[in-house]
Amino acid sequence: MNENPSPPKRVRQGMDYGETQEVQDTHAAIQREKLEPRAGLEPLSLWLIALYGLAVFFGGAYLGRYSGDFSGDGLDPLGGAQRSKKTGAAGAAATQVAELSPADRGKKIFSANCATCHQMTGLGVAGQYPPLAGSEIVNGGTRRPAMIVLKGLTGPLTVKGQHFGSAVMQPWEKTLNDQKIADVLTFVRQEWGNTGGPVSPEQISALRKELAGRADSWTEPDILAVPETAELPGGAAAGAAPNEQSKPAAPTPAPKT
Amino acid sequence: MESMTTTGTATSRPPEAQRSSEQVTQTEIENVERALIDASTRVPVLMFYTSAIVWLLLGTLLAGFASFKLHSPDMFSGISFLTFGRVRAAHMNMMVYGWASMAGMGTAIWLMARLCRTTLRHPLLLVTGAAFWNFGVLLGVGGILAGDSTGYEWFEFPAYAGVVIFVAYLLVMSWAVLMFRFRRGDTIYITQWYLLAAFLWFPWMYGATQVMLFVVPVQGVMQAVVSWWYANNLMFLWLGSIGLGTVYYMIPKVIGRPVYSYNLATIGFWTYALFASWTGMQRLIDGPFPAWMITASIAATILCIIPVATVGLNHHMTMRGYFPLMRYSPTLRFTVFGAISYTAFSIVGVIISLRSMARIVQFTQVSVAYSHLGLYAFFTMVMFGSMYYIVPRLVGCEWRYASLIKLHFWSSAYGVGLMVLMLLVGGLVQGLSMNDATLSFTESTQSVLPYLRGRSLSGVLLTASHFIFAFHFGLMLLGLGRTASVPTFLNPVEPEDVHP
Amino acid sequence: MKGLLPLFLGILGTFAFSWTGLIFIPNLQIGHLDPQMEEDGTDAYPAPKSGMAERGRHIYAANGCDYCHSQQVRADYAGSDLDRKWGERRSAPRDYIFEHPVLLGKMRMGPDLANVGHRPPVTDQNAPAPSATAAPTTGAPGAGTSPTPPPAAAPATAAASQTTSAPPAAAQNPTPSASPTAPNETVTAINGVPIPYTEAWHHRHLYNPRSITLDSDMPAFRFLYEKRQVSGQVSADALNFESSSPDAPPAGWEIVPTYDAKCLVAYLMSLDQSHALKEVKTAAAPASSPAPGKAVK
Repeated sequence: MNENPSPPKRVRQGMDYGETQEVQDTHAAIQREKLEPRAGLEPLSLWLIALYGLAVFFGGAYLGRYSGDFSGDGLDPLGGAQRSKKTGAAGAAATQVAELSPADRGKKIFSANCATCHQMTGLGVAGQYPPLAGSEIVNGGTRRPAMIVLKGLTGPLTVKGQHFGSAVMQPWEKTLNDQKIADVLTFVRQEWGNTGGPVSPEQISALRKELAGRADSWTEPDILAVPETAELPGGAAAGAAPNEQSKPAAPTPAPKT
Repeated sequence: MESMTTTGTATSRPPEAQRSSEQVTQTEIENVERALIDASTRVPVLMFYTSAIVWLLLGTLLAGFASFKLHSPDMFSGISFLTFGRVRAAHMNMMVYGWASMAGMGTAIWLMARLCRTTLRHPLLLVTGAAFWNFGVLLGVGGILAGDSTGYEWFEFPAYAGVVIFVAYLLVMSWAVLMFRFRRGDTIYITQWYLLAAFLWFPWMYGATQVMLFVVPVQGVMQAVVSWWYANNLMFLWLGSIGLGTVYYMIPKVIGRPVYSYNLATIGFWTYALFASWTGMQRLIDGPFPAWMITASIAATILCIIPVATVGLNHHMTMRGYFPLMRYSPTLRFTVFGAISYTAFSIVGVIISLRSMARIVQFTQVSVAYSHLGLYAFFTMVMFGSMYYIVPRLVGCEWRYASLIKLHFWSSAYGVGLMVLMLLVGGLVQGLSMNDATLSFTESTQSVLPYLRGRSLSGVLLTASHFIFAFHFGLMLLGLGRTASVPTFLNPVEPEDVHP
Repeated sequence: MKGLLPLFLGILGTFAFSWTGLIFIPNLQIGHLDPQMEEDGTDAYPAPKSGMAERGRHIYAANGCDYCHSQQVRADYAGSDLDRKWGERRSAPRDYIFEHPVLLGKMRMGPDLANVGHRPPVTDQNAPAPSATAAPTTGAPGAGTSPTPPPAAAPATAAASQTTSAPPAAAQNPTPSASPTAPNETVTAINGVPIPYTEAWHHRHLYNPRSITLDSDMPAFRFLYEKRQVSGQVSADALNFESSSPDAPPAGWEIVPTYDAKCLVAYLMSLDQSHALKEVKTAAAPASSPAPGKAVK
């Protein structure tokens, strides 16, 4: 019956919900009908168009009024995010930061984030948190400590001959940025009689990219698998100020403990 | 039963349709064709329906349990899988994925086959799909009860169940594409737009949500955005599209009259696709989100008045003069009830999402009322209607008892009406007392308890209605329906009504 | 409608439009936030939860706590959340950047929990700190908050002994006002009911909500607790009931929280949005200085 483009109309049998007509056929009929204006449609459709207009107007007005300036910070539907203050404050603070040396900045970060476990003395807590002062990991190459700070560490660990059973260190990659991790590592490697060289944000950034795929924290075997003297790629000169650190320097000779 | 309709005289024949004397033979050919189509869909559609009804009964029992838990919280507190939070999630997912989606797919398969005028190829594909889907829902509900829920509303199924459901869905969808490929006739009817859209939208939103929540999870509050975007689209674009498509088929089909206006249908469809997909974020109103995103959804909700009014008007004008038929036809009665509820659902949606109102009703039972208005009063009722129409054609006999159909209709209608009313009023009271900081917080939860008891009562009605329907459906499955040349009318037919 | 292609493209297009508008663009705006911190790297907020609290979040989600408890504080112009002291400021996207799943909640049949971990009274803030004898389950407590008392310095008290395994809670609990060495000889219970929002209180509340709030409609979570015969000494973490309580186990028996219950409580104790954020006003002190992070009292 495909060859017949307009199948015949069947009887409407009132209540019969049997097979009087295929809806498809009915619909073919309505397609033909729509070309000629049907009486009684026009006034209604005018009302309908008015309703469309009303809905569009009201919806648009609503969106305009409560848009919160279409910004991601505009939590308040009437707008009013305080952004001017933020940029000013950030600028002022940035200059302030530049005055401090990396190790000084690192000290602040350490006291805020690390001292709870490792203590300001760098001695840790016997049996629970390993010491940093004199630690072979801290004083070795830059790669091992940077790995641990970025991804955290879990499980048993032996430092300076002491055994630490259940120590867990959280990953800091989400909390601290490259600059801050570099600063705090620089501080740790030069404080308490430690003899490590400085770490630059570029090195951390490179390592972060290298380890981007890893989700888990390290365990002791992971760390031991890395040579003790392994350095991070693209090391910068010792004590370099942040703005000088962009120039690539030859890897610093690994300081031995 | 296909032959029972070959008598009668044409009353509304358009001029072009005045054709040759081959007309009768033509009709007979069509009838044979339809009979073949129905026969080819029998096994998969009945399988989808049977599974859906089993899930409906289980979901109803869980709902009753959860409802009673709200005012008797110490019941079974020692049993982990009967705690309120797990039972509620299990109920909701069973209803959405077990009942609504399976019933919707069953109806969609039959409608598609009829409208594409082609027999169902590879029914085994669909049977496998249904089996996998059942397995996925079972796995998901089991996972929720065992304490594996993901915590995203409407998406609680653990990821492993989600994968099974997705595979099942691909089987069903590959069939739908196949069907479209082999369709005959060059017009695509309105129902087919909605069904095709639903079948294409679902895998996109389901897949995208799985990816954005579990595979590459988005950060923080964006997860809430993704999950509510999904929940809303599941309601509007998946279930809503199937429901509207079914209404577009059933009303003109039963009364035997063309749909009022093709133009209205086109406008209704495209504005629906455009605006309904933008709603959803209003459920996160005043939360930690950019205000523009919420407001955009509220504006889209307001704009949804356009498709709702258009579709509603189209159905109304189609029905005009034929409303008395609702006295007789179960299909029409359920379908029209559903279509009217859809309008009510949308209007309530607009009212509760306006910021001034949302401030009061956010975090109250009103959102539960809203969900039931959409999922039950609209979608479920339309599905019942389509089952009353389709099942006799599949099993070859008529519904046994008109009285059971009537009982089913009235207990469903009163049940859902009472539930929605109770939860709307209760939620409003709850919100008003919650926002009054001089009242203690427990007063706001205490104030809603009487309404929750009323809701439990409505649950009893709905439970009764579902068991009646399942019993009746079971009779049909067993071939215990009536063998007659006329369908089962709700009331004795009076001649002047039958031929309006 | 003729032709499948326009229909197909239209369906695809409307959907892509919605995805772009509601998911993609908001994700650009708020989907990649970093923790806020002072310019010198101190005082980072928020910090990721770890260990028990993270596990507790999944127990919270699995048991559907979010169907009745929201975790978001609305601004003063919407609702009475601030008046009810559910928080000092509205919640912002940045508060949730480490949450997965994020459990904002859609219903309040119970109070908001966004700050439930912040509610313990100041005198009791040492309670969740790990005692010297406790085996730590996580490193670096105090992550990102002001310096907390060194773990070894917190004396074990009756309350602390029940909470020994929840350092993550301490991590989220800024306790600048508590002196690191303050002896913690405070009362742990009033009339047999633990001080609100301590760990002991949470356990008691989860075990039987109506023993604390008479008209609470929260289901009891007894399946998270284990009733067992006392072998030797009463366990340190057993729930403390006054003898007249109907929940009190018979003599020779004790009720102890399972590991899940401890995790859940650790999670609840970690819920704290009291830290000021630059992008939202705090009700008490508007954020205007460049360093509002320190403004937390």
